[in-house]
Amino acid sequence: MTDVTPNAGGNRAGNSLATQDARTKRRNRAEARFKAYGLTAILVGIFFLVVLAVSIIRSGSPAFTRTVVDVEFALSQAQINEAEEQLFKTAAYAAFFTDALKRQIDESGMEVAVDEDAIERIIGKPGSTIREFFQANPDRIGTPVTFELAASSRVDGYFNGRVTRESMQDSRFLMAGDLDLVDALAEAGVIRSSINWTFITGADSGVDNPGAAGIGASVVGSFFMMLVVLVLSLPIGVAASIYLEEFAPRNRFTDLIEVNISNLAAVPSIVFGILGLAIFIQFAHLPQSAPLVGGLVLTLMTLPTIIISTRASLRAVPPSIRDAALGVGASKMQSVFHHVLPLAMPGILTGTIIGLAQALGETAPLLLIGMVGFVARGYPDGIVSGFMDPNSAMPAQIYTWAARADASFYEKAWGGIIVLLVFLLTMNIIAIILRRRFERRW
Amino acid sequence: MYDAPNLAESQVTQDNIKISARNVQVFYADTHAIKDVDVDILDKTVTAFIGPSGCGKSTFLRCINRMNDTIDICKVQGDIMLDGQDIYDKRVDPVQLRAKVGMVFQKPNPFPKSIYDNVAYGPRIHGLARTKADLDEIVEKSLRRAALWNEAKDRLDQPGTGLSGGQQQRLCIARAVATAPEVLLMDEPCSALDPIATAQVEELIDELRQEFSVVIVTHSMQQAARVSQKTAFFHLGHLVEYGETGQIFTNPEDERTESYITGRIG
Repeated sequence: MTDVTPNAGGNRAGNSLATQDARTKRRNRAEARFKAYGLTAILVGIFFLVVLAVSIIRSGSPAFTRTVVDVEFALSQAQINEAEEQLFKTAAYAAFFTDALKRQIDESGMEVAVDEDAIERIIGKPGSTIREFFQANPDRIGTPVTFELAASSRVDGYFNGRVTRESMQDSRFLMAGDLDLVDALAEAGVIRSSINWTFITGADSGVDNPGAAGIGASVVGSFFMMLVVLVLSLPIGVAASIYLEEFAPRNRFTDLIEVNISNLAAVPSIVFGILGLAIFIQFAHLPQSAPLVGGLVLTLMTLPTIIISTRASLRAVPPSIRDAALGVGASKMQSVFHHVLPLAMPGILTGTIIGLAQALGETAPLLLIGMVGFVARGYPDGIVSGFMDPNSAMPAQIYTWAARADASFYEKAWGGIIVLLVFLLTMNIIAIILRRRFERRW
Repeated sequence: MYDAPNLAESQVTQDNIKISARNVQVFYADTHAIKDVDVDILDKTVTAFIGPSGCGKSTFLRCINRMNDTIDICKVQGDIMLDGQDIYDKRVDPVQLRAKVGMVFQKPNPFPKSIYDNVAYGPRIHGLARTKADLDEIVEKSLRRAALWNEAKDRLDQPGTGLSGGQQQRLCIARAVATAPEVLLMDEPCSALDPIATAQVEELIDELRQEFSVVIVTHSMQQAARVSQKTAFFHLGHLVEYGETGQIFTNPEDERTESYITGRIG
């Protein structure tokens, strides 16, 4: 005590608080640098997010519009009978359509060279659509019917700006000269752009008919799969976590289980696909491409995520709450279900929805169990016995489209990504809302 | 002369042994935490456990309602009898025991529910109330007993966690009292409270003595001297001395007790 002199601070003596000494300056600079690093990281992140969002929306939005040709004509029973006698029935129906279109063009008084090949290149082969319509609605025979037919993918691209006169090359799909006809038809209001409801509600189409392709059926497939995942993985996952966290003794066996759960969460999803193929399809003989099987495989994949997040949120409940419940004579189970579980609920729900969102975007395991199957039937037919019917899922559908040759399908893939992202965003928003609602402080 | 009958009566009740422990040993894995503890805790008496940190007083307290069962590595040997019945008997359900032996913890730990639900939880799970009116009565009685009724009666539906620290601890006492226990264990109930809240809780403990046997663990020797009639001094897992509080604080028999009380160890 005695050898401390009043000025023992040496270099500090005499310094006013208003001036920074070298050490403080260094510390402040380090702090400012660190803040700058953090800010840069966030800005880089935001930049890439914006680039991603803009490119997805720009490439995907054309999928939500389509180019249609409106043609009105009536067919008599005699004409239909005549067509049905032909060898190529759809070609006969297509001829009716071409005649009607020519008539419409003549009536509008436009001077454009119309030949049947050009019309076929612009509209494709509408014969089967017309034939199916009259078979399904025999009462419409003899009355004028307006057909709204999808234009070919090149014409669609011309409307969306994907195909331009400069980039246009004459091919068997579309000639540069055909574009004059398209322009003229557009001016007459015969060809126009409209919202593509088929894309949102329809099923996948054949490779040569991108205009009719839709993601609706695979949305339904994904929905059924998520239902299976939710119904199986939430109760199993939560029950397993409660047992492991609250009841199980700590010993070698439970340690082993814990390590295995952590490992399972890191197993590549394609491995789960192989497992699903081997067990559910080859051994248990469940149907291929069924949402039930997809759901089972994704359940296996989601369980570790749910268990880990549930255990973490159970562990985050202060032990004093458990003591309090036991102290007033509650049984272990009462203390868990009355007090611990409600407090852990926000965490459990968040974990579950994040697990579901992961499962929703998973493609690889679905490839192995054949959920990339082409679904010719549009929904709502497919909805009825949805768990066992062959179906596709959103990410698998996107993958299928991205692999197809026609550039128009590429657009559909981007559009599919937008739909998928909308679902993911919705799920995450629900997670946040549930979290807010259930969150209680203690 | 006038006081004589009263004194005799209190003598009788004090001789009523509520809990008797014989040769109690507690192990945490390899650590021998409680060694050969023999103690008789009387009914309608406040018994204080004092001693330096880590001496085993809280551990012994938690043996009395078998809260140590929740710790895997903890092993209890010896006999603890409640009204002549061995509480570590295989047939005894710890849940049933804890309804009889209530506990108040060091840190106030109300449930994140309303004040009413906090108090009503015990009676509800034990089926003590048949009707809503019964339950209301139990809640009111318990809150009154915990000297919280006047402060809480207008906000029964508000969360118990919104109360101040001292009020929360009194709420926990009300919650423990609501299940109509016979013994109330208190593990340093005032360590998180300010002096005013401490004084309120101490006053409360003195009132609770009318109906319960109260066992309190405390670090404050003044508190032990103020609220208890009997004091037990623990040191390094041994019960060093047990006797009348006045005796322990004024004329301890053991050297270690004296050293602790005078502040030389601990």
